[in-house]
Amino acid sequence: MKVAIFSTCVVDLLFPNVGQAMVEVLERFGCETALPTDQICCGQPTYNSGYRKESNKVFYNEIDALLSANADYIVGPAGSCVAMLREYPHILKDDPEYSQKAQELADKSYEFSQFLYNVLGVIDAGAQLDATATYHRSCHMTRLLGEKTAPFKLLEQVKDLKMVPLPHLENCCGFGGTFSVKEPEISKQMVDEKVDSVISTGAKILISADASCLMNIGGRFSRRNESIKIMHIAEVLNHNVDTSRIRYKDQPTTV
Amino acid sequence: MTISTSDKPFLTRVKESENDHFMQQSVAKAQDAQWDKRTAAREELGNWEQWRDLGEQIRQHVIKYLPDYLEQFSDNVTKKGGHVFFAQTDEEAANYIKEIAKKKNAHKIVKSKSMVTTEIDLDKVLLSLPDTSLMETDLAEFILQEDDWDEPTHIVFPTLHKNRNQIQKVFKKLGYSGTNDPEEMAKFARKYLREYFMQADLGITGCNFAIADSGLINLVTNEGNADLTMAIPETQIVVMGMERIVPSLKEAEVLDNMLCRSAVGQKLTSYCSFSGKQVVGESDGPSDFYVVILDNGRSNALGTDFEPVLQCIRCGACLNVCPIYRHIGGHGYGSIYPGPIGAVLSPVLDGYEKFGDLPFASSLCAACTETCPVKIPLHNLLIKHREVMMDKLKMDHSFNNVLMKGAGVATSSPILFKMALEGDHLGSAPLSKSKKTTVDNLFNYGHIEKAPSLGAGWTNVRDLARPPKHSENFRSWYKKHKKEQQEGVSHD
Amino acid sequence: MTNQNKETFLDRIATKSGRARHQLSKHPFIPVNDLPETTLSGKSQDELFEIAKKNSEAVHVTFERTDTTSLASLLNSFLSKKDIQNLILPTTDKWSTYGLSEWEKERSDSAEFWLPESSRKENLEKANSADGAIGFADYLLAESGTITVATTPGQGRGFHFLPTHYLSIIPKSCILSRSRQAMHKYEDAISSGKLVTSNINFITGPSNSGDIEMVLVVGVHGPLDMTYVVVEDL
Repeated sequence: MKVAIFSTCVVDLLFPNVGQAMVEVLERFGCETALPTDQICCGQPTYNSGYRKESNKVFYNEIDALLSANADYIVGPAGSCVAMLREYPHILKDDPEYSQKAQELADKSYEFSQFLYNVLGVIDAGAQLDATATYHRSCHMTRLLGEKTAPFKLLEQVKDLKMVPLPHLENCCGFGGTFSVKEPEISKQMVDEKVDSVISTGAKILISADASCLMNIGGRFSRRNESIKIMHIAEVLNHNVDTSRIRYKDQPTTV
Repeated sequence: MTISTSDKPFLTRVKESENDHFMQQSVAKAQDAQWDKRTAAREELGNWEQWRDLGEQIRQHVIKYLPDYLEQFSDNVTKKGGHVFFAQTDEEAANYIKEIAKKKNAHKIVKSKSMVTTEIDLDKVLLSLPDTSLMETDLAEFILQEDDWDEPTHIVFPTLHKNRNQIQKVFKKLGYSGTNDPEEMAKFARKYLREYFMQADLGITGCNFAIADSGLINLVTNEGNADLTMAIPETQIVVMGMERIVPSLKEAEVLDNMLCRSAVGQKLTSYCSFSGKQVVGESDGPSDFYVVILDNGRSNALGTDFEPVLQCIRCGACLNVCPIYRHIGGHGYGSIYPGPIGAVLSPVLDGYEKFGDLPFASSLCAACTETCPVKIPLHNLLIKHREVMMDKLKMDHSFNNVLMKGAGVATSSPILFKMALEGDHLGSAPLSKSKKTTVDNLFNYGHIEKAPSLGAGWTNVRDLARPPKHSENFRSWYKKHKKEQQEGVSHD
Repeated sequence: MTNQNKETFLDRIATKSGRARHQLSKHPFIPVNDLPETTLSGKSQDELFEIAKKNSEAVHVTFERTDTTSLASLLNSFLSKKDIQNLILPTTDKWSTYGLSEWEKERSDSAEFWLPESSRKENLEKANSADGAIGFADYLLAESGTITVATTPGQGRGFHFLPTHYLSIIPKSCILSRSRQAMHKYEDAISSGKLVTSNINFITGPSNSGDIEMVLVVGVHGPLDMTYVVVEDL
């Protein structure tokens, strides 16, 4: 099965560890990966700011780039960015050249944990991590992509990992793309409440499937001189893997 | 237009909200409590998503055939001896009502909670009449009135920003001598308002839904003040936004069920009434019945991308889930319609000049869209507003227009992006700090505490990760990784 | 003049929306699903009774069951328990149906009645002075613990809202599953001319408010408490 890696601009620019972990996990499960080099960004920063015309060029480039790999699936390490790819068919529905391509792209695009759990049918990725952690649910992954289950199911099975529920799971962390730079006064209050919630769990690690939220919450932790370790879910599922523990949905519990 | 509640700039209002800790705590507490109640009430009903489909369908249908339904409703009210006035503007509506009050020689006016009358600033207009007094009879609105006409902060819980001691102080001015116990204070208000009610000669109500095929109006309350307003005075004036209409009692019933669950987590509120002009043989209820149907900017939404905003049934659920509202409260929005619905509706009613800030005051988390019982795509409409301001009106909106357009160019051009990828680590060198961070595994290549231009908004609040060297970024790693795979080198 | 006002307004919004007027007869509302009809459907009267009881008690209602032979004594104990001095009763021909003809006669001196021939002021003053009201409801909705009443000349609007304590009598056969079923009944009664009314009240428990610090206060403008009495043999 061929998988095109939708790396996202944030991972491309800042977090090689996230992209690396995702690729390694996918390949471990038999995916042949490809990284389309002309991809840049899903277009949310400009589109969500109201720059519709400027955004079209971004969409076109991303569609052409990601489809160029001729892959069976397109997988990215960010619920929000993948949700944006799934929005393309709505946004470009009247575009004579791109409406169909947008649909093709959307149909085969998945967020990493969603792909692992729903498409590959992985229940236990074989990972081990001896820690207490909590999970931040990104708004776009939950509400726009509609993925509320996969990351929790996969994290549940990580050996020695104790997951503590995060209070006010439903509240946004205050990232919101350009919102975080445009409205820092409000964003600060939101991220402060999120940091307080994370601290209240006593968790040593904060996990999420969206690098941007982690960048926001972690950035505030750092500014407040509070201690935490930040891990993308791909990094957790790639940690100390024992392939003999790997389990799929259609497989009996005992090997 | 008077949906505006403040002349202060948006950021000043945000700052004031941030300093109002009681308000922030109250809002958070209310949101958390309502989250549980609302979720439970919806789960108990079952098939909530299908109910939403039905709610959306009803509302979209009446908006689509709005002139027909308004005509039907108006004809039915008239047939029963009532009067209907169609008002284009707030001023037309307020003047019409003022004339009725004069004609009826009204001295004591009772009002039950109505956002539309706040919108047309009716209280002030009526109080300008000689020998006329007026009483807001909803407990919260009564408190606001007696506190020198303070502005509401929530469309369902208008006094969310006030604590019991503040309310006790307000009541003391009216002769109250009891404690700050909510029940004791409510009993005082009951008695105080009941005396006034019994002498009232004009009642003014809002309208949750107007029933087209019967000419009745549907009001949904918990306190019973609306029903007293419709029972005691000889004259009743109903003021309704033109979109608040349903075909028949059946659709009113559906929406009441969804409204009550969404607004306060109740199956039905204490009182859901379907009411019109007194009929022969009845001794109470209005013998004179007037309905004022108001546009006041609503028609700006018709035929545009913003038409879905007219689906709103004013349940306030979007306020109760909004993380922005949670922190800036109702006053932060500067409109009588706050929260996500207010951020969409206020610019439609009253333009971008006054309310252009509001659509940007959202992280687009879509909690509003998810909770809306009639499926208004609220966060999408916020993006639409941004689009109108940026793309069509070219409003710079104190945002770095050039930089954002630049971002559009950069993120659509692979070559420019690759240049950025190569230059970023080096480019950020003068900005980065060697100081150790308390956060593990986020700042593997250093961090930045003070970024220039657009980035300043970020670093005013939080540290920014420094980009890796080109040779260490994801694409470089992937290239190496692929090469190793092709060469058959196994990596550890 | 009103007509011109209406036509101008409606023409304007039709133009703005880009849709012609007078399309409705060709496009009536056809609901996308039948949830209002099917939700909580197919329950027996006994099952509905149990659901109604549970949901009424959840909204702070005192829920009683009795039959026509014991109804009078139940009403008497309500009056003494609430220490009601000024009772108001409706003018209705229902008394005999409920076996209350005698009971009503006994009260003709001590209680006030909402009288069709009295003025607005007289009836409202009576209801306002009353510390108790005993009235008849049309239906009880099981799902929400709601009584429904249409205003009649003998049982006006103020009757349900002004007195301090309130008791409502409902035949068990008139327990309906939800508000939808009540709407069908009212629509039928109104269109057939059986019911002529200006007002239908759906009342769900005593009045309440959360306006002060979101603390639930029971009893604001309307009655401070509510008692529903279901008569099992009717």
